[in-house]
Amino acid sequence: MSAPGPLPATVEERDALAERVSAAVLAVPGVAGPHGGRYNDIATFRAGGRLVGVRIGEGAEPVEVGVVLRLDRPIPDVVADVRDAASRLCGGAAVDITVGDVVGDAVDDLLGHPAGDAPGSGGAATGADPGRMVR
Amino acid sequence: MTESTPRSSAASTTTTTTSTVRTPTTTVSSPARLADETAQGKTTIAASVVQKIAGIAAREISGVHSMGGGVSRAFGALRERIPGGGAGATNIAGVQVEVGEKQAAIDLDIVVEYGASIVELARAVRRNVITAVERMTGLEVIEVNIAVNDIHLPELEAAEDIPVPVTSRVE
Repeated sequence: MSAPGPLPATVEERDALAERVSAAVLAVPGVAGPHGGRYNDIATFRAGGRLVGVRIGEGAEPVEVGVVLRLDRPIPDVVADVRDAASRLCGGAAVDITVGDVVGDAVDDLLGHPAGDAPGSGGAATGADPGRMVR
Repeated sequence: MTESTPRSSAASTTTTTTSTVRTPTTTVSSPARLADETAQGKTTIAASVVQKIAGIAAREISGVHSMGGGVSRAFGALRERIPGGGAGATNIAGVQVEVGEKQAAIDLDIVVEYGASIVELARAVRRNVITAVERMTGLEVIEVNIAVNDIHLPELEAAEDIPVPVTSRVE
């Protein structure tokens, strides 16, 4: 109960808050989905499984949010909206935001494979791409 | 992972913006902190995000046939075998980025279409990439180095498919 902000002290409250933050963040226009960050550490471990993309810090730790964005709006604008949405639910706490990836038709064209492919296959696609294009 | 050093082959035309000197370390998968670090929290944009935006912007310019060169292709194939080298940061062929707290530096390897002025083309690519990355990410682009690795000749492609009819000069 020593947390300075209104961040919840119990695990259950924190999980519930993480779910609310996740829903609010994913509802922001321009957000395509959650992202676990570079080390896949932006996640909440719950009884029902891992909630990727939101981590509610304990005590003075910040709230962390990881997102995949669409390229239809400038990233700083979307990030500001995400921060507003998340911070409001967390009583104005600091929110660290990681933009882990971007998606869209233009990105698919660039990668040369349709949406829905596993991220790991991107390397293979780019490896094959220049071989196809460059003669 | 220092693939910026053997960038240009002997045959390549390299146009470079003169800008600040930087270390040749490519941090392709390292995240970047944005300028708006405040009490409200930090913002981190992954290098792969900048890579994709730069790649899209470069390809938007007509006259750019494709991206990538011999060296970047070889390194790209190698990097995907390294754990953590390709999973988070999808490597876009022909685009290397270095992302700092407020700035980004971009290296492009492009193959141009025959018939385009390479100087004009490079200028247009640079302008479009800078505009796109700065507008979309809020990062300041300090330099865009463009290496033209090859030129694409449409006639050669046609020649492979269609046997050229030999027209006799005499009747």
